[in-house]
Amino acid sequence: MKKVTFYIIPLFLLSILVGCAETDILDRVGLTTLVGYDVGTEERMSTTVVVREVNPEFQSNVEVITTENETSKGNRMKANRKLSKKITIGQMRVVLFGEELAKDDLHSYLDSLLENPSVSNSLYLAVVEGETSVLLEHEYKNIDDIGQHIYRLMEQNIKYEHMISSTLHEIAHDFYMVGKDSAIPIIKKEGELVELTGVAIFNDGKMVSSLSLEDSFYVKLLRDNFKSGIFETILKEEDIPPNLIKGTSNEMPVAFDAIKSKRELKLVDATTPEFDFQLKLKARLLEIYPDVESGDPKVIERLEDAMVKNLTREISRVIAHCQNVQSDIFGFGEKYRSSVRNSNLSKEKLHDMYKDMKVNIKVEFEILRDGVFE
Amino acid sequence: MKFKLPFNKKQTPIVIQATKENVEMIIPEENNFTQMIKDATHNPSDLIVKSIPPNLTLIYIKNLVNDQILNDHIITNLQNKIYETPETIKLSLSLPEVNISSQLEETVASLVNGSVLIYVEGYSPVVLANIPKRESRSLSAPENESQVIGAQVGFNESLSTNISLVRRNIVSPDLCNEEFKVGKRSNTSLSLIYMNGIASDEMVNTLRQRIKDLDVDALLDSAVLVEMIDDNSLSPFPQMLLTERPDRFCDGLLNGKLGVIVDGSSMAIVCPQSFIEFFESREDKNLRWQVATFVRLLRFTAIFLSIFLTPIYVGALTFHYEVIPQAFLVPLSESRALVPFPPVFEALLLEFIIELLREAGARLPTKIGQTIGIVGGIVIGTAAVQAGITSNILLIIVALSALASFTTPSYTMGNVIRLIRFPIIILAGFWGFFGIMLAFCFILIHLLRQTSLGAPYMAPFYPPRFQDMRDSLIRMPLPYTAKRPSNVRPADEDKFNPEPIKPEKS
Repeated sequence: MKKVTFYIIPLFLLSILVGCAETDILDRVGLTTLVGYDVGTEERMSTTVVVREVNPEFQSNVEVITTENETSKGNRMKANRKLSKKITIGQMRVVLFGEELAKDDLHSYLDSLLENPSVSNSLYLAVVEGETSVLLEHEYKNIDDIGQHIYRLMEQNIKYEHMISSTLHEIAHDFYMVGKDSAIPIIKKEGELVELTGVAIFNDGKMVSSLSLEDSFYVKLLRDNFKSGIFETILKEEDIPPNLIKGTSNEMPVAFDAIKSKRELKLVDATTPEFDFQLKLKARLLEIYPDVESGDPKVIERLEDAMVKNLTREISRVIAHCQNVQSDIFGFGEKYRSSVRNSNLSKEKLHDMYKDMKVNIKVEFEILRDGVFE
Repeated sequence: MKFKLPFNKKQTPIVIQATKENVEMIIPEENNFTQMIKDATHNPSDLIVKSIPPNLTLIYIKNLVNDQILNDHIITNLQNKIYETPETIKLSLSLPEVNISSQLEETVASLVNGSVLIYVEGYSPVVLANIPKRESRSLSAPENESQVIGAQVGFNESLSTNISLVRRNIVSPDLCNEEFKVGKRSNTSLSLIYMNGIASDEMVNTLRQRIKDLDVDALLDSAVLVEMIDDNSLSPFPQMLLTERPDRFCDGLLNGKLGVIVDGSSMAIVCPQSFIEFFESREDKNLRWQVATFVRLLRFTAIFLSIFLTPIYVGALTFHYEVIPQAFLVPLSESRALVPFPPVFEALLLEFIIELLREAGARLPTKIGQTIGIVGGIVIGTAAVQAGITSNILLIIVALSALASFTTPSYTMGNVIRLIRFPIIILAGFWGFFGIMLAFCFILIHLLRQTSLGAPYMAPFYPPRFQDMRDSLIRMPLPYTAKRPSNVRPADEDKFNPEPIKPEKS
């Protein structure tokens, strides 16, 4: 009898618990691929969702719906009233924030995204120049599914190291870490295309400034290690050694690829605080104009010196700009916190200190090869 | 060690009545004797009573004795000669197996076994000349366990042929052969075969006892015997291997396993057998180790695919749409868009159709079986997709898992693989991946609890035996697999000296 009950109870539970599981059958739900948040005109927030619905007749179609409500869940309910299928967010790949909203505060949005277990932590975040609804509701000529398109756009740019990575996981990490602020790519509607135009930098949850696309390379150089990036810069007159150049032009555009970088950050003085930032770069020379005698090792050496000067100046400029707007996107504060005992660092303390922070930049640049590649 | 034999749960001590039954003696009178035999055999129509004047009577069953030997050796010998006593007849017959008995029961038993009774008028003992006719088909290639490289001969239904096949493979006086009779009514003979000096005595004793303790009325096939003598008869997983390949059988014997051959059955039993060994084919030994390793890994992958692919489809589409990669999303949902059923019902329906096809193919004659394959595979498959009953991606998945289940070298194990898929599909339809995990844990725990003749079923992974793992999931080169598997507890652990023949590569 004991043995019988031992088997019967689980079987009984098995049969009655079946009803408890909520099903989300793939072809009976609307899959949200992208969500954009804006500041609402009448209510607190306005949400634009891109939903892919599968219908037997139309194969599949993409709906873009904008709703306004006080909360994001309220918006979902409102959007549900306009769709034939239940909205689910498990396949969401990109979350966009309007510029105005980003300048306000992103904290609560990130919180609600993180707290939802069906939201993937590897989705990409981006800030939209202007309003997200304008970007999403436009009928693009050649873009079929705007959600998928923006996802692919960001994915390939991040994968090939043209842009800093901004997955939800990384952004949340920076947000909740005491010694660091986050940076998120900016996208913009450019005629019939969507374009990455720069990097939004944040002070805590507020967007304070933005950096141009060219500067995003330096941001990435300071934050991460490159494995095989591509980079173009213009050597200015003061960088160029006098005997390198042949022609009359005073500017020299150069392009490198297969960049490998290694960074090392050291706290040398805790009181100021002062940091030593060492950067080692290796790259292939792809293009240079006007042409130089690239077979000559001395010329290459001079070119390397010129690049070191150029990089040092540009990096200092980017850091100075970030110090100016009090956004520590490079994680100097984190280095400080981990090196100084009992520092009791807080975001406020960090931003006070950050203004006067001194960074000594040392760059080593090595040209591995030159000539024709690819 | 467990003895869970459903047939002798109420074991009564065997009462010895031998002396009482054997006392029935033959009466030395011709008419009475014939009548006694007729009564004892219920006077069958094929019982021949032939008297040879002046004083001899031959009694035999027509369909059991070899006519040619009967004519050439017995009748010609006995005709026109006068024999006084059974002893002189016994001496004069040029046959290998001639006995004299005066007990009725022994005489009748010998008669139904293919003996000719030679009765001498006035004497109580009769001569029993055993000249049985053995009906057996010729040897042919094993149909259910074919392999490309290796011997192409399979067991047939005759016990003596099968034993001679084994003896031809292992020419050794250490090959032990013990014969038993099982079944009160069928009196089926079976042989327990093992290698003395390799097989563990304890296991031989265990198996011998299990066979002796059997109290059944008939035994018609070795598969039935397996179910009666294995450790857990209630488990769907077979714990003893059924094979029709003499080389696989001998390979087992030489590894220290025990073999049982049942008369009238073309499948021999090999035990103890661990779970992983059911997926190893004899052909793996004949191939180069790299190829053999690849084939084995392929087979294990196939089994995992076969069990879990359809449930994962069901689970992912019913509950976990989050895990579907983006590239799959559109094709999957578009192929599902027309299907009116939930995924679990769709999958069960298709699995049911595939099983129907398999069963129909197995039951039908070979020529029609091929037609069924074409009708089922092509016509039903495409029609089902076009009618919108199933999605074509599921059709691929189900066909793939059916195909994968047929790569199992043991047919009985392949059946189990196909069977356990159904509860997992249902659980996946109930609770998604949690259900699959529940089923997986349940099966794993069940497998871990099994034993085969007392040896752990999940060896060499549980308990871990790293030495034996060299020839399980993968097959290492021969010098590394010089030891016999430890779960058969071999008396002699080394198969051969593992040192290479060529120590230095020149």
